[in-house]
Amino acid sequence: MKTFLKILLKYYLKYISKLIIFIHKPIIIVVAGSANKYFVKQEIKNRLLEKDFSVRANPKNFNTEIGMPLAILNLPSGYNCYKKWLPIVYSAFKKIFQANFPKFLVLSLGSSDPGDMKYLLKIIKPEIAVITEITQRYMEGFSDLNGLLNEYVCLVKKLNKKNLLLLNNDNLRIKSLEGDTKAKVITFGFSSDSDCQADIFKKIASGQNIKINFKNKSYNYNIKKFGKHHVYAQMAGLIIQAYVSEKIT
Amino acid sequence: MFERTKNLRLSIIKQIELKASVFPDAISLAQGVPSFDTPVCVKRRVERALRRGVVAKYSLSPGLPELRELIEIQLEKENMFYDWEKEIIVTAGTIEGITASILAITAPGDEIIIPEPTYTSYREVIYLAGCKPVFVPLNEKKGWAFGLNEYEKAITDRTKAIFFCNPNNPTGTIYSKEQQLGLAGLAKKYNLFIITDEVYKDFVYNNEQIFSLAEIPDLREQVIRIYGFSKAYAMTGWRVGYVHSDEKIIREIVKVHDALVTCAPVISQYAAMGALEMGEGDVENFNKNYKKRRALICARLDNLKNIFSYVYPQSAYYVFPKIKINIKNAWDFSLELLDKTHVAVVPGSAFGNNGEAHIRLSFGRSEEDINTAFDRFDDYFKNA
Repeated sequence: MKTFLKILLKYYLKYISKLIIFIHKPIIIVVAGSANKYFVKQEIKNRLLEKDFSVRANPKNFNTEIGMPLAILNLPSGYNCYKKWLPIVYSAFKKIFQANFPKFLVLSLGSSDPGDMKYLLKIIKPEIAVITEITQRYMEGFSDLNGLLNEYVCLVKKLNKKNLLLLNNDNLRIKSLEGDTKAKVITFGFSSDSDCQADIFKKIASGQNIKINFKNKSYNYNIKKFGKHHVYAQMAGLIIQAYVSEKIT
Repeated sequence: MFERTKNLRLSIIKQIELKASVFPDAISLAQGVPSFDTPVCVKRRVERALRRGVVAKYSLSPGLPELRELIEIQLEKENMFYDWEKEIIVTAGTIEGITASILAITAPGDEIIIPEPTYTSYREVIYLAGCKPVFVPLNEKKGWAFGLNEYEKAITDRTKAIFFCNPNNPTGTIYSKEQQLGLAGLAKKYNLFIITDEVYKDFVYNNEQIFSLAEIPDLREQVIRIYGFSKAYAMTGWRVGYVHSDEKIIREIVKVHDALVTCAPVISQYAAMGALEMGEGDVENFNKNYKKRRALICARLDNLKNIFSYVYPQSAYYVFPKIKINIKNAWDFSLELLDKTHVAVVPGSAFGNNGEAHIRLSFGRSEEDINTAFDRFDDYFKNA
């Protein structure tokens, strides 16, 4: 019974989400990878907000077959409680008619079983995709790393030549995805051959000092967060902010 | 022989529980265990991990990367910024985090200052590390606040750290930002570590802001903060928590953590992921119940004004009443109470000398248990 209701809910949310996307036509930016999705997604959202765009990003880890539609609809999860799901199901329908739908959706995509990515990409058609990291993490439903990599191949193949793909240039597996896509590719990382390159990365008492080189310009940031993964988030944010400012405004 | 363990004692709370177990109708207000079961969302997350066969192997010593990333996200929401890759270790409950931290930062003979009354096991861990606990009394008249002068007087050449629990067990006190900054000033002045156990930080009943010294970037290399999922998420049996600090310190703590437990139980790490991903609503719900129980237990204590006086607890699920009648000591009083009413309470002396003449009552138990326990107290004390 539970499984049946879950399937029903999954497809209900899927088709409502598709309908809403069809009506409102937001620009969809997706963030995929086995690590650092949250921080990259937040940075992209913040950079777009800085430019006064209306943006919605998925809260928490709402990035699965049920979570992602909820993020699109801007609804909470009922988790394991039937009672909590009832008003959500009702609200989902009402969302079709909502005004002021955001111009941008920044969505992280979760993939813990083969085929997850394919399912999510039946709901949304991203215009920009970022692949943050591919490691041994989130191997739960995958027998090996190649199986996981296939999920990202599925994503990059979905992009067309008008779309943009950001690849972490420090990860060889991610780098190899460049050959599988028709989209314009921008690489980012610490490697010297990256299109967007982190030059200085220094820990200071109040956070980190970062220098990023992109399109013959240098950008200096002092951020209050610690860790190399935040440097990647800064680079992804910078690239997308520049791209959107140039192409979309 | 047994040189390392000779100063250690078995937990008084466990001793009381053991004595209570002989009474079939015993009610325990002694152990700090929530009456609730672990949230369903946590169990579901664990079931999924079990079905996928991902819990049988060790994780990396500092813990599953995905859990540590979730912890970093949680800390960021609380205005604390730590790198999950280098500055966070998932531990087998808070006590393992505390033990690993103390073993990492001290040498035998060092002194660690702890307030009293405070959690009983701190003393044992300090002795286990070959160190000496130096107790500084909290001021009951000022709502169990720190006395900064007393702390400064307690500092010697051997002092290595100031260690406290915020909110405090057993008093339920939330230490103010000013009080904590005062301690931070001492830590800076005398180059000391601050170990802060914040296992009760989610027990917020009136939107209080619980400040942590780990929020201050300038103190990163001195503050070691510890948290556990046991209390807030009703997960005492899962034994999972975490410790975070600057990478220079964590680098050393992880060596001890690896030697002690290799890694936190992987199944419990998945449980912790479930808690962080989906448990927020359950914590809110638990807190609503605890708030009601706090009001109930305090109302029942008010009916025994001739026997007890107390400082209203701001957080956690304990109240620490003072015994106003003539007694020999808190231990005998607790034993007599157990013997006559079959209600287990913890003698305040378990939390240090300054806790003498008090008892600790937990309102983590159900309203029914609290009412039955106090009905028995009412009967017992009616002629007192």
